[in-house]
Amino acid sequence: MTMVQFDRVGKRYPGGKEALSGINFELARGEFAFLTGHSGAGKSTLLKLMMLMERPSRGQVFVDGQNLGRLRAGQIPYLRRKVGVVFQNHQLLFDRSVFDNVALPLQIAGYTPAEAGRRVRAALDSVGLLGMEKRNPIELSGGEQQRVGIARAVVNKPALLLADEPTGNLDPELSAEIMNLFLRFQQVGVTVLIASHDIALIERMGHRRLILDHGHLHEGQIAGAGGIYG
Amino acid sequence: MAEPKNSVKTQAGASLQEIGMRKRLNAWAANHQLVAVETLMRLLSKPLGSLLTWMVIAIALTLPGALWMALDNMEQLSGRFQASGRITLYLTPKATEQQGQQLSDRIAALDSVANTEFIDADTALDDFRDNSGLQAALDFLPENPLPAVILVEPPLGIEQAALLRLIEQLKSYQLVDSVQLDMAWVERLQAMLALAERLIGVLGVLLALAILLVVGNTIRLAIAARVDEIRVVKLVGGTNAYVRRPFLYTGLWYGMVGGLLAWLLLILCWALLNGPVADLAELYGSGFELKPLSAGAAMVLLLAAMLLGWLGAWWSVSRHLDHIEP
Repeated sequence: MTMVQFDRVGKRYPGGKEALSGINFELARGEFAFLTGHSGAGKSTLLKLMMLMERPSRGQVFVDGQNLGRLRAGQIPYLRRKVGVVFQNHQLLFDRSVFDNVALPLQIAGYTPAEAGRRVRAALDSVGLLGMEKRNPIELSGGEQQRVGIARAVVNKPALLLADEPTGNLDPELSAEIMNLFLRFQQVGVTVLIASHDIALIERMGHRRLILDHGHLHEGQIAGAGGIYG
Repeated sequence: MAEPKNSVKTQAGASLQEIGMRKRLNAWAANHQLVAVETLMRLLSKPLGSLLTWMVIAIALTLPGALWMALDNMEQLSGRFQASGRITLYLTPKATEQQGQQLSDRIAALDSVANTEFIDADTALDDFRDNSGLQAALDFLPENPLPAVILVEPPLGIEQAALLRLIEQLKSYQLVDSVQLDMAWVERLQAMLALAERLIGVLGVLLALAILLVVGNTIRLAIAARVDEIRVVKLVGGTNAYVRRPFLYTGLWYGMVGGLLAWLLLILCWALLNGPVADLAELYGSGFELKPLSAGAAMVLLLAAMLLGWLGAWWSVSRHLDHIEP
């Protein structure tokens, strides 16, 4: 079963900049893959197409069997509930507690408070932050904030988990910890795609790699040290 | 780190389907309740900033409300005058007191007349002397210039046509010099009240527009202050309705509290004016009392305020919210 399919996808931004062209790839259900490339290669754009934060200029994107080009604006929220996203700047809200941040997707999806509470605690437990639910995210360290972001991304049990430079601001040790967290979600059936330029870490983990280079996608090995990603 | 196995082990994608329709409906209602309480608390947590908006709304509502109240009272007053619209018959100078009295009795016996009163010329002069303050001047007159008068009171609620027929009949009596219907000024008053009503309508529409703009602008600022939150909510699957909801409730609260304040202001106006108006009415020998805004009218005021607040919020939200995309 395919979870994600890109079919000759191109994206041109107003002003003529070609962000992506001729993108073809598939992600199987439960697969774990990295998306790498120099900054400006189109990693974020590619992720945004799967969330319909952007729409492709050409080609078709399928997520969970759904042709995103056929989705009306009113259906976009329901797509996003199936896709969890983690950002480098984690997009947490500092006017509410860790618990309320993680509970937001459940509240939106219409869970009862009791049910939401159970799931939030389970999600916080899975990222090792169970004791911090009453804290404000601003009191937490960068790594902890990122884990709150991950808990929020997985609390609704999404089929697909996307991460855009989730370890961008973290030291190597914390980065490895975060990556291991993503691996555990893959182990329970979630399809995971992580955009990152942390080549050393990616090489160590040894999973499938999608490489973006000036808007074109290559599958497989990264060029050696000193290459374009050096 | 804690054991993750018991947390995310369900099959991917099996989330929404697990929730039954009834549960979702309950959750939807619970969300409305939560948002309603949260938005009110948010407003109350910054009472000074909110008070400013509330007062603007309240004053914008009090103005037409007060005029409405005044108009209501004027109509009540004019209604009373209309009920007592009398016909005055001035008799020719040659009519004797006895003839006048007989005519008065004859007229009183008519079907379309409730009551009559005959005032002979001498009594009329005495009344005039007592009430006009022209006593000295009147004493210089060689003879009584005033005619005898018959006051004719038609029955309450007489129809216009019947009244006109009665007047024609009264004019036909030989002893009657002229007939005056004390209705002309009542009609003028009513024309003026109709004009005032129209003016209040126009003023009301303008002030309603002002409320829409004030609430709309306040909501615009609230949206600007919560852009980050809106982005995140949309990102994790919040529908437009979900994003709109807190702002619509905020508008509703602005309208409702503004309406309640307007009501209080109107009661205050009434309390301040009631005493002087009663004193004035007593000087005219009238039992007229200033009526406060009726419960029904107050309800209309409150509902209109809530509707305006909601509409103002809707207008602002529909203009600004769609542009905020993650």
